[in-house]
Parts: sequence; C-alpha cells; structure tokens
Amino acid sequence: MKLKSWFIVGVLGLIGCADVSLGQDWQVPDPAHTLSFPRDHGSHPNFKIEWWYITGHLESKGRRFGFQATFFRLGQKPGSEKPDELLGNSQLYLAHMGISDPVNKIFLHEERLNREGWNAGASVNDLDVHNANWSLKRTGKSMRLSGSVRADASWDLELIPQKGPIIFGEDGVSRKGPEGTASSYYITYPRIDALGSIRIKDESFEVTGEAWMDHEISSSQLDRSQIGWNWTCIQFNDGREIMGYVLRTADGENSPYSRLVWIGESGRLHHLTLQDYQWEHGGSWTSPESGATYPISPTITALDPKTGENRILRLQPLMPDQEMTGTAAGISYWEGACDVLDEVSGKVVGRAFLEMTGYADDIGEKLR
Amino acid sequence: MTKPGQMMNNDREVARLLWSRFIWRHWSREWKLTAVLLLIIALGVAVFLSIRLANKAAVSGFGLFTESLAGQSDYLIRAKAGHMPLSNARALRQSLGSLSVGLFPVLERVAVLDGERENTIRLVGADLVALQNAGNYTEGGQVIAPESGKSRSNDSPIFLGEQNLVFSGASFARDREIEPGDRITLIVDDQSVEVKLGGVLPENPNFPSVPPNLLIMDLPSLIQLSQTGEVISRIEVRVSPGAQKDEILKAAAERMSEFINARSLILETPSQRKSSVTQMSSAFRLNLTILSGLALLVGTYLIMQAMEAAVIKRRAEIAVLRSLGVTPLQIRRAWIIEGLTLGIAGSALGVVIGIILALGMVGAISRTVNTLYYETTTNAIEIGVAEIGFSMLFGIAASLIAILVPARDAAMAPPAQMMRQGAPGGGLIFLRKPWLGCLFTAAGLAAAFLPPLCLKGGSIVPVGGYVAALLLVLGGSILIGLLFQPLGTMISRLARNAAPMWGYAMSQLRHPGGRHRLTAAGLAVAIGMSAAMGILAASFENTLTSWIGQILRADLYVSGAGAQSVNNENNLSRETWETISEMPGIAGLDKLRRYRVSIQGKETFLGGSDYHDDQERTLKLIWLEAPEIPGEQGLLRDLEGAIPGWFSESFCRRFGVKKGGIVDLPTPAGSHPVLIDGIYAEYGNEAGMIIVHRNYTREWFGDDEASQMAVYLEEGTDAERAKEAIESAFPTLRVRTNTRLREESIRIFHQTFSVTYALEAIAVLIAVTGLGLALAGLLLDRRNELATLKSLGATRREIAIGAMVEGVGIAGVGLIGGITMSFALGWVLIYVINPQSFGWTLIYRVPWLSFIGLTIVTLLAAGIVAYGVGYRNAELRSDQDD
Repeated sequence: MKLKSWFIVGVLGLIGCADVSLGQDWQVPDPAHTLSFPRDHGSHPNFKIEWWYITGHLESKGRRFGFQATFFRLGQKPGSEKPDELLGNSQLYLAHMGISDPVNKIFLHEERLNREGWNAGASVNDLDVHNANWSLKRTGKSMRLSGSVRADASWDLELIPQKGPIIFGEDGVSRKGPEGTASSYYITYPRIDALGSIRIKDESFEVTGEAWMDHEISSSQLDRSQIGWNWTCIQFNDGREIMGYVLRTADGENSPYSRLVWIGESGRLHHLTLQDYQWEHGGSWTSPESGATYPISPTITALDPKTGENRILRLQPLMPDQEMTGTAAGISYWEGACDVLDEVSGKVVGRAFLEMTGYADDIGEKLR
Repeated sequence: MTKPGQMMNNDREVARLLWSRFIWRHWSREWKLTAVLLLIIALGVAVFLSIRLANKAAVSGFGLFTESLAGQSDYLIRAKAGHMPLSNARALRQSLGSLSVGLFPVLERVAVLDGERENTIRLVGADLVALQNAGNYTEGGQVIAPESGKSRSNDSPIFLGEQNLVFSGASFARDREIEPGDRITLIVDDQSVEVKLGGVLPENPNFPSVPPNLLIMDLPSLIQLSQTGEVISRIEVRVSPGAQKDEILKAAAERMSEFINARSLILETPSQRKSSVTQMSSAFRLNLTILSGLALLVGTYLIMQAMEAAVIKRRAEIAVLRSLGVTPLQIRRAWIIEGLTLGIAGSALGVVIGIILALGMVGAISRTVNTLYYETTTNAIEIGVAEIGFSMLFGIAASLIAILVPARDAAMAPPAQMMRQGAPGGGLIFLRKPWLGCLFTAAGLAAAFLPPLCLKGGSIVPVGGYVAALLLVLGGSILIGLLFQPLGTMISRLARNAAPMWGYAMSQLRHPGGRHRLTAAGLAVAIGMSAAMGILAASFENTLTSWIGQILRADLYVSGAGAQSVNNENNLSRETWETISEMPGIAGLDKLRRYRVSIQGKETFLGGSDYHDDQERTLKLIWLEAPEIPGEQGLLRDLEGAIPGWFSESFCRRFGVKKGGIVDLPTPAGSHPVLIDGIYAEYGNEAGMIIVHRNYTREWFGDDEASQMAVYLEEGTDAERAKEAIESAFPTLRVRTNTRLREESIRIFHQTFSVTYALEAIAVLIAVTGLGLALAGLLLDRRNELATLKSLGATRREIAIGAMVEGVGIAGVGLIGGITMSFALGWVLIYVINPQSFGWTLIYRVPWLSFIGLTIVTLLAAGIVAYGVGYRNAELRSDQDD
C-alpha cells in the first residue's frame, strides 16, 4: 500500500478541484470484481486516484543507491476509456522521482505535474505510463523504467518481477477507513530483480538490485481524522517481505485500519492488525528545507507467522536526508532507503523503504 | 616662496597651478559659459543615449513569456510559415526519448481590448498545469505562480478547464484598475470575447516583469478561443540545471535537428529568435542611431567653437605662462585636462537627461516599430551599464576631439602673438582649405556608389551612404567658408546707405575669421541634416500619397480590430466575409490573407489574395516590373513547375532576387516554388511580401480567413451608410472609408517620422545656441574695436545691431551652405540609404515651404541671439574679460 492519496487530494485541492468527497460518478473497488491482467496493470480512468510506485535498492562496485519512481493519475472527472489526445482536462498526472547516493550523501529528487495528453498519460490496456521523459512500461515478463532528476541524475532499469502480483485486502479490496468507499485495489510485486544503468552527477554505474512495486486504484481513501502515516516495505534476506503502515490520527493514536502484512516465500499473505504489531518512533532528523522533524529510525515489533514469536526490527536509513520537497503538490514527505536490523541479534536481516507523511505540513488541514 | 625656475621643473606643481589658476578660476568666473558648454555636451550625449535606450526598449518586447515566469528557454522550435500542430509536441517528446528535456508549447495570438482598439494585446497561451514544473528548469527552482502575488502553496487555485480565464502582469491590472475576478472584453479575430482576470502575476526581482500588454491564458483555453484548431506558435525547450546539462543539450540539439528537418520547422536559441525578429528593424534603428550620432557631431562643432573662444579669451594669460617658462606641452596638457573634465561632467549630465528623454521617446519608436515591423510588447527602459558607458565614451571622445586643435593652437602660438589682442585667428585650420572641402565632397560622392553591407538576418546597412553623408557634411562645412566674401559684398552693395554699423558688420563677414567659419560650419551641419531629413520626409510623403492614390481604389476597407499594420493578426472568418459580400449595395471584394513566413532564416510575409471581378475597379499595384498578366488571371496562370507570384520591391532587395527567379516558399503543406512574375512598389512593409492567389494559401494553410478586405460598392451606394451597415452587423470589425484610410495612412507616416522631427529641432536648437556662443567670443575678441567704436559715438544699440547683422550674416552663410548640403544629403538618403536599407524607391521632392520656414526661424533666432549678445558685450571695457 502506498498512501499517496494525501498528495493526490492535496494536489487536487491546489488545482481547484478541492471537492475530495466521492462523487457518485466515480467507481469504488468492488469485492465482487476479479482483477485481470494485463488489463488491470493499466489505467482506470473511472476511478479517481491511481498510482504506480516503484522503490528499490541498487548496487554497483560496492556502492549502494536507493531510488523511487511514482506515477500518479488524478482524475478530475470520471473519464472515458479514450484518453485525452493532446491537452486534456479530465486527468492529471503527477510524478515523483528520487535517488539517494549514501556515499556522497546526495539525495536528488524531482516532481512533475502534467495534464493528460501529448506529454503524459497511461494506457488503459496494460502497464504503460509516462510523464514527459519518465516512463514505466511492461514488455513481456519485465518492465522498463526510465527516470531522471533534473540534469543531475538519470536511470534506465529493467525490472523482472520474482514474486506476485499480490493483491492485498480481504476479497481483493484494501480498506482504509470505516466508510465502505474508503478502499482500494492494491496490487503489489514485492520482489523484483532490477538491472540497468544509472548516472549521478558525472558518474555512471551498471547496477543490479531489488525493487518493490505497488499499483493502487481507488476513488477515496480518506478518513478525516487522519493527519499522516508511516509506511514501509521490507525485503528480508530469507525471501520474505513485510508491507506495513500505521495511520496517525489527530488525537495522537493510530487508526484501527492500520495493517501489517507478512508475505511468505511463496507469496502467502499473513495479515496483522494493530493488536499484533507495534510501530515505535525512533531516531530524529530535522529537515533544513521544510523544518519538519522525522522519526527516521522506527522500531517495528510484529508477530512472525513463521516462528510464532515477536520480531523486533529497526529501520536504519542509509542517510538521514531523503526528504521529498514537492513544489507542485506543495507537500513534503520523507521517503528513503533503509537497512533492516534485527534488534535481538543486531544483524542486518533485510532492506526496506520507509515513508513518513504529515510531519512537514498540516495535511489534515489541507484535506479538510 | 617658490622660484619660477624651480616651479617649472616640477610638472605636478605646474599642473596643479594650471588647474587652480588657469582652468578652475575661469570656470568659476565664467560659470555661465561653462554651464552652456556642459549643456552642449550633455545634449549631444543625451540625444545619442536616449535614442539607443529607446531603440533597445522598443524591441526588447521579444522576450519570451517564460522569461517573465521562469527564466529563459534553451531552444525554440517554430514553423517556417504559420502555426504548427500541437501534435508536433508529442512527436518531439518521442524523438527526445528519455532525455531530461522540458517542452513548453506556446500559442501566441493578437487581440484588442474593447475600448482600446488601437492598443494590441499579445495573448500568450501556455499549459498552466505544466508551467508548475517550470521551477525544475531554474536555478533555485524559482517560478512565479500565476496568481495574485501569493506563493504557490496558498489555496488560490488555477481553475483547470475554466474557459476564458486570463492572467496579467501587475501593470496591466494597475493601469486599468482591475483585479482578479473582474471581466474584460477582448476582440480576437472578428469575435468579441468576455474574459475573466484569473490572477495577477506578482513582480519578482529575479524575473523580467510581465509586459503591460501581455495576457496569459491556459493553452487549451486559448486554442478554443482562437478556433483555428489545435495549433501552436512554438515549443520552448528547456533543460534543467545540473552536471549533465551541456551533454543533454548537445544530445537534444542533435535529435531536434533531425526532427525539424523532417518537418520544415525552425530550431533556434531565444537570442537567435530575438535577433531574427529584431533584425527586421535593424536598419531603421541603425538610421536613428546614426542620426543621433550626427547630433553629437553638431555638438562637437559647438564645443570646438567654445574652446576656440576660450583659447582666444585667455591668450594673454597663456602668453604670461609661456613667458614664465611653462612649456607648450604643459599648456596643451592643461587644455586637454580641461576638455576631458568638461567631457566627463557634460557626458554624465547627458546620461541623466538622456534617460529622461528616452522615457518620452520609447513610445514613439515603439509605435513606429510596431507599425512597420512586428508587434512587440514595449518594455520599460532598461538602463544598462554598457549603454551608459558607450554614450559617456562617445561624449568624452567628442569633447577631446573638439579641444585637440584649439589646444594645439594655444600651445604653439608664440607669446608675442598671444599678447596681441584682437589678432585674427581661431577656427580650425582645415576650414581654411577649400581644396580639402572639394576632396571630401568628391570622396563623398564616390562613396555613395559603394555597395551596401549585408547583415545576418537580411538587413542591409548602406555603409557607403553613411560614409558619403559624413564626407559631404565635412566637405560642405569647409566649402561654405567661400560664401562669406560674396555674401558680405552682396549685402554691402544692397545696404550701401544703411547705418555705419552695417558696413562694419559686412567688413567682418567679407574677411571671415576662423571662428566665423567654424560657426557657419556648425550651423550648416545642423541645418543640412535637418533639411535633408525634410527632403526625405517630403519625398516619402509625396511618393506615399501617389501610391495610396493608386492602390486605394475601393470604397471601404475592412480589417480586424487593432493597429493598421502588417502585424495585425486579427482575421475575418469565411462566414463574416461571405455575409459582408452578400449585403445590399456591395459589388465585390478584394481579399488578402497574410501569413508570416521565414525564408532563408529571414522573416517576411506571404499574402494570398483574390480580387473583385470588375477589372476596372479592382486593386492596381504600382509595377516596377510588370508581370505578363497584371490582373488576377496572372496569379492563376498555370506554369510548369512553379506558381506565379508578385513580389514587393523590399522583398527583392532584401533577398537579392530578380524578376524571373524562383523562390522556395515554405508552407505547412511543404515547400512550393514561386516564380517572381512581377515586382511591385510597396511602402507599408520593409520586411517584404509575396502575393500568390488565395486558392493556394487556402490549400496550404487550411484556412479561408481574410486579414483584410477592400470592398467595392455598387454605383449610387453611399460609402458612409455601407460602412455603418457593416459596423452594425459586425461591431468588432474595423471599417474605414477610402478617405479615412488615406488620412490614416498619412497619419501613420507622420508618426513614423516623429522621432526624426524631434531630432531636427534639437539640432537647430544646438546650432543657434552655438551661434550665440561664437558671437560672444567674437565680440569679446574685438573689445578694443568696440571700445573705439563707442568712443566714435556708436551707441550700445548700434553695436547690438552690428552684432545682429553679423550674426544673421553668419546664419545666412550657414543656411545657404546647409540647404545646399541638404540637397546632396537628401540625394544620398533617397537614392542610396533608403533603397538599400528599406528597399523603397522614392520620388525626390524638396519641401520648399518648410525650407522657407526653417530659414525664417533660423535667421530670426540668430538675429535675436546675436542682438542680445551684442547688446551685452557692447558695455565691455577693453581690459575686461567678460
């Protein structure tokens, strides 16, 4: 799950479509519906919000890099299946790209907003989404991702899923709040082999690594009491993964709709509710740009379905400054590559991406 | 006490002494004279600087809109002719692949504000959503949100998809006292559209301010408003700052080159674009600059006169200094320091006056540029260090040149001669050498036949013409010295019985001193320049009037609202012109659809026209080289391998083509060869025009609009009534009767020349001031003679009359010389400079009436000034300095 809906609605608010309530014309995820691929890798213009999110860890010559690529589709009015050809007003495409180079302590990122048409769009038949020169496209069993950050970094990766697609939620629908409409189709490839090339500043690298991909489709995911969230995807060295999040409410509590899901080696899911896991803040980094203070090294205690015992995991960021400061959306958040430490053994047991929102901006205020 | 011998050995001490006792003492004692000197330099520099600044401001409106919002683009892509489809942006994106390049398609349209129909508004359509990304392409990520002065993170949104929403700069809203939410009515083509001001772009010191006649719209909204399909004017290309920028730019340029070659597009940098557009008017602006330079030349003459006067005045002192052992070199150095100081101070003052003048002048120059060349957004005067530095240098150099010869005279003359007051002298030695005058004049006439210099972009600079003008001015100013004796003799004979003072004045004229010659030369240069401009203007007016008489044969002229110029892009739809053609009393129409095209990298115009059926009453061009069939049928002739076209004279000169040649015409439907079937005279457009039949342009450009129409009425139909009928059916159109259009054409013509009229006035003013100054020097020099005359009974009034006669005599010489010079200069302007730089053949005409007026004004002014100077100096004692 990737709760970028905050941004989406934030952007919607900024561009004059501030009515975030679900209009009757927008579709909502239906438990009775069965997703079919490759069609459902493509765009769903009758849903209001959709995103394709890829993060990953890359290596070359002993150097590590983290990357993020997210393509959002923000419906302005329920779209027809026929996309706007040149300059549409019915869909907007927001996108974020980020890359971290811990050796040089460099974190580069860029945000873009384009209307559907000549410069941005997504196929309704298969995974094929682009925003200016950034693109993500499925070809056969692999995907191709082209990304860049200004004239400072660029990457071209081939992504070959090793597991999935996995669909989160009961009956294929992931619930985010008490209202039935606050739900999504949540499709994930939790382990993807990545290979290709990256350029950062004046250096070029041939890289390999592992990535994670989410594709989420919804029309409303909001609970008005929520002020932000902490989310992570963990890839363990033993071949298993965790996707987990806590939704933070204005009264300082975590929403009961928070979830943590273990993904077994074979792809079997094990859902935990807040009774079975804890998310404790740890570490602290204050952004010089947004002024926000993020708990960048949280500890997650969760029941391990394999052993039946609690695992205590600490996320250790590769570098503190991995904050995305958006201009188009006007919202800043932290999205960074981490190592995962087993607190009992003290060993690194996997890698993770951590996302924290609602620390820099009063998102709740913007959304209400 | 320091002994003189010691003192003379100490250069620095001498310099200090000369400064304080020789220069500064005179300045403080004769502060009025010093002030006049400073003012002369200042005026020369001011005219020069103001013309340069105003010129720059008049064409600086070619800044692209993103400069105002997010800094400058790296490249531009545009069509060679007309607009290009928006789908080109998609194709270009695909060609660029994964290169990190920002593409910003822009559509520009011209509109008119209802109620301000003479003021053209540039409507710029950009994708306001994508514009949010512009920060990615600036250092520091800065971008100005098109809102009302707040940061982008506020809750004031861009209303996506809201039609007819415009955003303006602060000055537009301020001038009209409107604010976001208010509605204004625009006329685009022949449609009236109400738009809402969605926001005001805040002023930001990091970006050029948004010009006052520019409105920004969301691109889809402007496309819809224009109703010309999904087309754009250009794609602005930007690469973000970063370590790989140069590499990306290089790779992008290669791919874009392939892209444009396959599609008949143009790829250029913003500065190339700016210069390709502004080069259209470079000759006009160069002419103005040279004219302003000539004003400084007149100023140089006057400074020379003044410094000459100062040398004579201080003769006694110089002699004393020389006898005390001050070397000629030290004296010369002191004069040079004096000239330099005056030059610096005068130029500095000139810069201040120049900036003030420029503020007033920019409007006039912009109007001319807009009328003749292209629609610009006039920007505020930008005061650049380079412009100021250049003008200061020009002023200081002129002052130094002006002082060098007097300084040499002062230094070289032996003390004994110096001590002799009233000794004839002064003036430049070269002015006493008629053979030199003949040489300059002959060289000037020869230079007129030199070939012109071709600039990049198609402008032609008539270097030979300018050199000829300069040499003729120099030669003429030497030769006019020969006029003094015959003029003096003639007046003496005529006024044989007049008062004795007349005789005295005439004797002075018959034996002119250097200062007489110098003064008359200064006057002649000023008058020669002014009168030559007068000849040019009169010839232009005469030619234009007969041209208008020939071509304006229809009863009514209909165009879209906006300025009457080639740049008015407001067109009439097919529906509109068809309705008009069917209105009662309408016999027929001539229709012209005009397009801007780029041929061989030079901007020019293409016209698609068809004509009224009545052969007798249709448009008749003035043929310089007639086509085989001069009527509409000629344009419809079926030629093998080419389309027949009529080319304007300016086009042929600019592109160096002749009748019978073939020009490859770029159009959205590919390139088409056009035969130069006929060449016609046209005075409305320097950039040139190709006329082909409308059938072709309709097919190539896919539109059936008309830029303007000539309407022929049935016999007995009242033109005013028909005009009213069209206006009431189409209130957005501009309908003019034949008479009205003729008047307007002449008005525009005068507007074009308004700057030159101002320059003429300044030149004459400077020259008459110089005359007063010179006379003051002359009388001062003759104070012994004046004292004698007074002792013989001459009254102060009689002496003043004598001075007046002498002054009028000098002015007369200047006038005769100047007007004679103007005939030659006028010849150079009309037959050399004008055809070479504008491509216009004019009929030579002398404005005798204006010349009589100029003569009377100059003589009167000279008489009054001279009388005043004489009256004042008559009271001087022989030992008095002032």
